[in-house]
Amino acid sequence: MSNTKVAIIAANGTLFDAYKVFNIATAAAASNAEVGIFFTFEGLNLIHQDKYKNLPLPEGKEDFKTGFEQANVPSIKELVAIAQEMGVKMIACQMTMDVMKLEKKAFVEGIEVGGAATFIEYAKDANISLSF
Amino acid sequence: MKSTKVLDAKGLACPMPIVRTKKAMEELNSGDILEVHTTDQGSKSDLTAWAKAGGHELLKDTEEDNILKFWVKKG
Repeated sequence: MSNTKVAIIAANGTLFDAYKVFNIATAAAASNAEVGIFFTFEGLNLIHQDKYKNLPLPEGKEDFKTGFEQANVPSIKELVAIAQEMGVKMIACQMTMDVMKLEKKAFVEGIEVGGAATFIEYAKDANISLSF
Repeated sequence: MKSTKVLDAKGLACPMPIVRTKKAMEELNSGDILEVHTTDQGSKSDLTAWAKAGGHELLKDTEEDNILKFWVKKG
């Protein structure tokens, strides 16, 4: 796995999306893979300092709230910290930030800002490419 | 089986058992045996895959009273 490279696009912003992205990312990093995530459109919420602590459940799925509590799943904040600790590369999409009038300081520390070409350059030799 | 270290990951959901196992393994030397306890049923296949990916050896695993135990030898 140490030569495995994983490229993930996070384009959606609900709690479900956040778990899909960060569970795969942290599991891959824990298996010694190199992991990079490109956050675009609503996916930016997953690393937005105010929003990532309280991401909404998808519409009509609000009853999953107690399920999450009972299953003792880590919070998104915890997963982001774990991902960063394990060296997961996080790239926020510059174009979406411009459209949404967001600045780099609105996001968790340690992220990079880049465009689509930045992600393509990273992902071109990835073994696993995922989009959520 | 004699283990070098015991990791209690009971009550934790995916991906935490794997994340904690990785961290615990970092503190051990090659040939050491890490014993991992979990309650997450998914960890059965996850730890097997994880050990394989990292070049470690899953020596033994048991399940008793919903507690899964694994003995992993560091590669």
